[in-house]
Amino acid sequence: MSPSTMSSRPDPNHPDPTPDPSPDPPPGHALDRPALLAALRARIARLDRSGAALEARGDTALPLSPAIDAALPWGGLPRAALHEILAAEPGAAAGFAALLLARAAGPVLWIAPDPDAWPPGLARFGLSPAALVLVRAPRPQDALWAMEECLRCPAIAAALLMAPELDLTTARRLQLAAEAGGALGLLLRADTEAPAPTAALTRWRVGSAAGDSTSAHDLGDPRWKLELLRCRGGKPATWHATWRAGPGTLATDEEPAAPARRRRASA
Amino acid sequence: MRRRCCETPDVGQEGLCPSWPSPLGGELAPQTPRGEVRGSGRDAAGAPSPREFRAPPASPDLFFPGGVRGAPPPPGGESPRGAEPLSERRHLALHLPRLPVERLRRESEPFALWGVDGPRRLVTAASAQAEAAGVHAGQALADAQAILPDLVLEPADPAGDAAFLERLALWTLRFTPLVALDPPQGLLLDVTGVAHLFGGEEALLDTVVQHLARQGLTAIAALADAPMAAAVLARAGVQRVVPPGGAAEAVAPLPLFALRLEEDLAAALHGLGLRSIGAVAAQPRAGLVRRFGAGLAAALDEAMGRRARPISPLRPPPELGVHRDFAEPIATRESIDLVVAELLDALCRKLRETGSGARRVGLSAFRVDGTVQEIAVGTGLASRDPAHLGRLFAQRLERLEPDCGYDRLALEAWQVEALAGAQSGLGLGAREARREALAELLDRLSQRVRVWRPAPRASHWPEREVARVSAFESVTVPQGWAARPRPVRLLRRPLRVTAMAEVPDGPPRLVRLGRVSHRVLRAEGPERVEPEWWRDPPERPMRDYYRVELATGARLWLCRVGFDAPGAEARWYLHGYLP
Repeated sequence: MSPSTMSSRPDPNHPDPTPDPSPDPPPGHALDRPALLAALRARIARLDRSGAALEARGDTALPLSPAIDAALPWGGLPRAALHEILAAEPGAAAGFAALLLARAAGPVLWIAPDPDAWPPGLARFGLSPAALVLVRAPRPQDALWAMEECLRCPAIAAALLMAPELDLTTARRLQLAAEAGGALGLLLRADTEAPAPTAALTRWRVGSAAGDSTSAHDLGDPRWKLELLRCRGGKPATWHATWRAGPGTLATDEEPAAPARRRRASA
Repeated sequence: MRRRCCETPDVGQEGLCPSWPSPLGGELAPQTPRGEVRGSGRDAAGAPSPREFRAPPASPDLFFPGGVRGAPPPPGGESPRGAEPLSERRHLALHLPRLPVERLRRESEPFALWGVDGPRRLVTAASAQAEAAGVHAGQALADAQAILPDLVLEPADPAGDAAFLERLALWTLRFTPLVALDPPQGLLLDVTGVAHLFGGEEALLDTVVQHLARQGLTAIAALADAPMAAAVLARAGVQRVVPPGGAAEAVAPLPLFALRLEEDLAAALHGLGLRSIGAVAAQPRAGLVRRFGAGLAAALDEAMGRRARPISPLRPPPELGVHRDFAEPIATRESIDLVVAELLDALCRKLRETGSGARRVGLSAFRVDGTVQEIAVGTGLASRDPAHLGRLFAQRLERLEPDCGYDRLALEAWQVEALAGAQSGLGLGAREARREALAELLDRLSQRVRVWRPAPRASHWPEREVARVSAFESVTVPQGWAARPRPVRLLRRPLRVTAMAEVPDGPPRLVRLGRVSHRVLRAEGPERVEPEWWRDPPERPMRDYYRVELATGARLWLCRVGFDAPGAEARWYLHGYLP
């Protein structure tokens, strides 16, 4: 169906646990045994915890559109994980983020130095103001702290953080928090030419694409260029998608966009 | 209130209601009342509390109070109602005669403070050593320096004294929750029902004075029924406990200055040979009021306990409170954490017993040197979960400065709401538990950052379409709200852009963002938004909004203003990003 469908896919019911960076213990070190046991116990507890949080929620991955879901190893965008969105175009990226937040179905927190999320526009993606809580955190350390607290809370469905680029340790910390709490974590930041490595599960670049309306006086439905730049256990891919507000679906083009119609978003 | 005023025998009313015909002819000609009582709880810091409310003095049926009409009051200053006490409350007054000097802790050398009174520089306060040498308050500065050439001088700081007095009032909250200021150098404590905790009233008096002495403060304390009786005793330097009902006798021999009358009034009374409170009170009431005004009579009544005057507490008493005293001051974070956890447990137990939950909890830490530090946390939903409150406090405890340690920590629930118990477990309360978890998260967040919910509002003006409400309120979305395509991000400060249109009222064809010009492929609009005349100033211009798609695919919400003003150039703004 999609050009980037993988030949063999892991079972979507068992999300890929984060590989633990701790190396295998050298055998025969009796002195390290208590520490080793404690580390293993902590690891099992963490796996159990994230598993339990997901079980309680019933579903583990958010559906986007059939073509995109097929390309993702989890059959959708998994909860209990951190996803990074690079905004090639601020409006398109905020729209895509709103779509994900709305599909998470539950209380949503939007954390930004000065949150300019506009509920009348977000409501068209199904994100009701009744579910939205805005958090103003001008200092970066406050914003990161707030994001971590949110992700650890089992009561929320998703949290979005607008922040400049995060270093690996911080992103890893947020990823672990999301695993513990079971919420969907989104990092929304401005696009950069060569993004640094990240600990997030997926990384998207969202830009706008020329609309398919034939009239010069009608904008038509929003069209985005979705680039999956990085995906743990999956392959990068690019789609052109149209948001149909009426039925509330994200429709991807069957064929890759023709070069003539393709207008690259200025990064 | 009114009834009590009617019963009050001697309320001089002249001057307060000049339009009312005087029953005694010219003798009661309108005159301004003299003998205003200064100080006391009325001008204590903070807004006047409702407890202070007093009936309006000018009311026609007050005009013939029993005592004023001819009949002289019985001799001995005893009015018919003076014998029985007005209330069964007990008040402790503290007077700190050397407060401005002692708070600076300069014990080693003779020390004095000076201030400026018109053209003269006067000594305002002197330390014990300096006073022994002959320096006293009110003396000219030059005289004081002549008496004691090595006198250390510093300018007086009345504001600092007032702040210190307030701090001291917070410290005395350890004895009773009801403390009022009696500026400039006094405190009033309502100690009704607390004396037995300290082993009786005498012991309480000693305890207070000793505690203050340990801080290096000289204090005179007196305990009586009426707050002003106790205050007058303390100001006159009499440290004693007056038995219930004995205020009038105890106060009678005291000199007049303790009443804190105005200077010319006190001088006039002295000129008449009236040197003590009892001597003034023994005079015929009517004449006294006629000559010196109602203020003097009121001050006398208050001092002799014939007229109740409630004190206005520094802060309202807490709903519930727990505290712990330490024989050895604690200073480390671990021990403070431990004690706070214990106090929270105790407070939450009390809250559970009363079927309530706290909305606002304050921790007061009493430092050994007399400083009181306070930390408060608030919750969105009433809570009595020690773990949750503990997490809220954990973020704030780092603000404490336990210099030399705390000898007392008190935890008080300042705001309390009814909270019904809910059964936990059995899988029934999952939804409720989730709601509580969200409320706890929002509590934690709002301790450090601003948190709010956007609420739809009935307005078509874009900036007013959404209001900020508390994160704990629930938001309802009206039917048909946000039917039009709107931006997903609205710039708080619209960006000025340059745009070119083919015709004056037409849609833009070229938009310049920064230094780059972009061709507009499609434009929808205009959507005209007129200002709300019932809210906006009349000169606010209307706006034309266009939704445009640039050649890059970017979609913007552009706005044109100023097109309706004659001769003005239309201005273009970027107001938001469309998805």
